[in-house]
Amino acid sequence: MAILDKLKDGVQRELEGLEFVIGWEQGYDPLHASPLFIRTPGDIDRLIWNPLCVHNLASYLPSLKGRRVGILLKGCDSRSVIQLLQEGLIKREEIVIFGIPCRGVVDLSKIKSRIDTSQMRAVSLMDDAVVIEIPQGREEIPLDDVLATKCLSCQYPTPLIYDHLAGEVLPPQRPTEVLYKEVEVIEELDVQDRLAHWERELDRCIRCYACRNACPLCVCQDYCAAESRNPRWLSQRAGVSEKVMWHIMHALHLAGRCTDCGECERACPMDIPIQRIRRKINKEIKELFGYEAGVNPEDTPPLYTFKVEEPTIQEREW
Amino acid sequence: MPGMEGTELRIIGFLCNWCSYGGADTAGVSRFKQPTDLRIIRVPCSGRVDPLLVVKAFMEGADGVLVSGCHPRDCHYSEGNFYARRRLEVLKRFLPFMGIEPGRFEYTWVSASEGARWQKVVTDFTDQVHALGPRRNFGEGNGGGDIR
Amino acid sequence: MVSREARFLATDNIPALLRRLGNTYRVFAPVKVSDTIVLFQEFAESAGLALDEQTTLPPKELLFPQTEGLVSYRYRKDAEDLEKSEVQVEETLEAPPTIIFGVRPCDARGLTVFDAVFTDGQWRDPYYKARREATTIVTVLCTQPESTCFCTSVGGSPTGIEGSDIILTIVTGGYVAEPVTEKGETLLQDEAFTPAGDKAGEAGEAREKVSVERELELDGIAEQLLDIFGTDFWEQVTAKCISCAACTYVCPTCFCFTITDDTTGIEGSRIRTWDSCMFYLYTLEASGHNPRPTKTERYRNRIGHKFSYHPTSYEGMFGCSGCGRCIKVCPASLDIRQVLREAKAHG
Repeated sequence: MAILDKLKDGVQRELEGLEFVIGWEQGYDPLHASPLFIRTPGDIDRLIWNPLCVHNLASYLPSLKGRRVGILLKGCDSRSVIQLLQEGLIKREEIVIFGIPCRGVVDLSKIKSRIDTSQMRAVSLMDDAVVIEIPQGREEIPLDDVLATKCLSCQYPTPLIYDHLAGEVLPPQRPTEVLYKEVEVIEELDVQDRLAHWERELDRCIRCYACRNACPLCVCQDYCAAESRNPRWLSQRAGVSEKVMWHIMHALHLAGRCTDCGECERACPMDIPIQRIRRKINKEIKELFGYEAGVNPEDTPPLYTFKVEEPTIQEREW
Repeated sequence: MPGMEGTELRIIGFLCNWCSYGGADTAGVSRFKQPTDLRIIRVPCSGRVDPLLVVKAFMEGADGVLVSGCHPRDCHYSEGNFYARRRLEVLKRFLPFMGIEPGRFEYTWVSASEGARWQKVVTDFTDQVHALGPRRNFGEGNGGGDIR
Repeated sequence: MVSREARFLATDNIPALLRRLGNTYRVFAPVKVSDTIVLFQEFAESAGLALDEQTTLPPKELLFPQTEGLVSYRYRKDAEDLEKSEVQVEETLEAPPTIIFGVRPCDARGLTVFDAVFTDGQWRDPYYKARREATTIVTVLCTQPESTCFCTSVGGSPTGIEGSDIILTIVTGGYVAEPVTEKGETLLQDEAFTPAGDKAGEAGEAREKVSVERELELDGIAEQLLDIFGTDFWEQVTAKCISCAACTYVCPTCFCFTITDDTTGIEGSRIRTWDSCMFYLYTLEASGHNPRPTKTERYRNRIGHKFSYHPTSYEGMFGCSGCGRCIKVCPASLDIRQVLREAKAHG
């Protein structure tokens, strides 16, 4: 049975005991999927599964605490759920998880930077390519060229937590070495050039907070420190300093918690490469504490604990 | 000593109430000579220092930021500085990624009796920040090339 | 329309024209700042124009800045009586002459929504008004609608002139320029514009050919939205919304703002900044009560405002110009057209 059929079958069987099941449906054009809330058996037909199902649906879970819901999760998405469980922000018994072994999802910005999709007519998804029909003809793009960057170093194609798995366990297929490639590009710059880089990229920010609201671990939402007037961390001013401060605030509040799902960057209407800010912190957390977020529900996030002797921290001598 | 030559920089020190603030006081009472660039903000514990306080200081134009607390195992609240150590170490490794030079931020431990150590920390840190000079903040003109 | 005397603007003449205009005006035009982002930026010859793509953000920022200083102030202590202090207040209003080149008809029409609210009604906003009067809008008519376009469904047109001062129609080798207002007429005196000759006919034909399918039937939507106000329709339709402000900040007609005081020490400024009805804080009252506590009420208000309350207050004009940006940027791909279709069909 194909993955989609297994999913539909599973949802059909579980739906009765649940308020709804969150999956994906086809969006407003052939290139966009959109989250789907399956409430009745009639909705199940709208369910889709393909590399356009980019959204990390776990982002909806914290606000649904206290309600019994089902959810479809890719491998990476499942790490968000584990992290939320670790922090007691959701309850395992309230959620039915339909896991999906995943070979990768596309980054729509990568497609849009290659071809003008504004008059696109149809999209076909093959195993190793995306074919897009535009008025000028047929464009075939190798899938690897437009996969989300996180997919190119994916170590968890199969969800780490699930009640039903639609398909066979898929072992990791991708190299780990490329994980920090984008981070290293910035690390190789002069410090002054790094500042100029972020100044230029982050100045584009419009402070819409899509990065925050799409983030599964940003659970403060309506009570975010960035918007609080007292204490007033940030002015309402849309200056570059406020924007940089916001992005550092977001990244630091995710230190040791970020599961690298990339929703922040995907949601950004200005296509600012902000995921690498979190990746840099993830890299340091891994090096310092050997820790990766969202892998084991029993773990404690490294900044919520300490050791009396920290063998990996080399303090400055005076 | 730069501060005394009229070229003072803006250095912010977050000092815990129980040890480092006392250490700075001891240095003063003992009349140890110190540079005057550092402006001290007294906090209950180094564990109180949200890394964002450090970032905020930089965003407001600080040239250097120092956090100082009780030595590990000596925290007035038993474990505040243990948490601080982890957070501040992550911060210290992260700030240069955003374009804030290594050396502009340090954290350390000074006890209330260590007037001489405080003198050394504040002198060395001030010299270190002066070696880097005034910091160009975000939005203050163009600083050079880029990855493109 | 002041006059329909058409002129021709050769594509090759555009940089020189903008450079000349730059001596008297601030000139903004669409520039590709990254692979996928096009923004209005102050014209620089080196940057190259991106006139054939919809800009990521509408030009509203240039007339209604995301941050706008209203007044600056400074406290002064009385030397004789330290209990007393006085405050000096200075109005800060900057409205230099500006040209926005390469606007789209939907965005120009979006400005008419601002005009109705900020300049034409009972309350006049001196800041917006001064900027609007100092700005000349040069619009390039659309030739190719995108999959997200729906201007014709909300009363606009890919060849519409509302809100523009000059309209440009793409023809072979350049554009046919026609003035819509006195301001536009003035600009057409520049030497870059030459007699249109038979290009005028070509422009007319080109305009005939463009069409955007009218995909929504919005008759009666204002009443319908009120009728379904209290139904569970809104919870269902907003389930996927993540309540960020991307849709409102890229919208050419969203004009909500907040005013705060930015004080450092004894001086500061009162600033007006964009705000969004999608934020919790937007409606949070001092008592702690929030009349729109969840995304459901907030999104309902966004739709209600654009398609019911606004047309009721402003002679049927929708608070939407059909540019489709909200659909494009939504992290959950929530489609406002689909919401309106379902709203009409509901109940």
